[in-house]
Amino acid sequence: MTTLAIFTPESAAFPSSNFPALGQDAQGRMHLAFDASTAESCYWTFVAPQGITTPLTAIVTYRAASATSGTALFEAAIEAISDGDATDTDAGSSFSSDNTPTAVTVPGTAGYIDQLSITLTNNDSIAAGDYCRLRLNRDTADTAAGDLQVLAVELRDAA
Amino acid sequence: MAVLSEQNRAAVWADFMRDESSAHNSIGITKADLRAAFNAADDWAEANATSFNSALPQPARGALTARQKAKLLAMVLFQRYGVTA
Repeated sequence: MTTLAIFTPESAAFPSSNFPALGQDAQGRMHLAFDASTAESCYWTFVAPQGITTPLTAIVTYRAASATSGTALFEAAIEAISDGDATDTDAGSSFSSDNTPTAVTVPGTAGYIDQLSITLTNNDSIAAGDYCRLRLNRDTADTAAGDLQVLAVELRDAA
Repeated sequence: MAVLSEQNRAAVWADFMRDESSAHNSIGITKADLRAAFNAADDWAEANATSFNSALPQPARGALTARQKAKLLAMVLFQRYGVTA
């Protein structure tokens, strides 16, 4: 596998409502706090690199703010727009369907990190050079109480 | 007073989780279990409101409003258990 991109909390873009709060802990680590009961989402923009191979995988590094039991579940979707596509980018979005992995059990100590892998089977036919966005959202059907804080997301390809 | 609506129970449950997350306080149960506890607490408050009112001495029982009595109880509980609002 090859790392294609690293997405940090500071580089996320947000919808007009229901977005995770950008925060910084006492250790200086930035995070995106996804609420437990409201479905929140954010985006990262990238250009699909040359040589890209599918399926892509998103590795979500997160921690629970409070939960020491229960499950975490994040979903990811790809929007890939090619040169000449008939997509009015200032009027709408064209994300593929969400990719939903199996929920994972959160660490037994709040603050410990865990990494959730999401295989991006639905990838909007991404190709090298495409103008792309990755959308991440917490599936509030998970069972962990309190915020889940995303620290980073790594995007990998199949090569 | 009836028990809280489902919407209000969900709102206070969500607020609790946000507050505890902000304070980095551990919660060792799931969202569903926590929600069940909120529902039970609301049911208990409804069932025992009359009992609490009867425990208050006069003239407070007759002079304070229901809101003031609720605040009184909350402040006593917060103080007893070291909760800062």
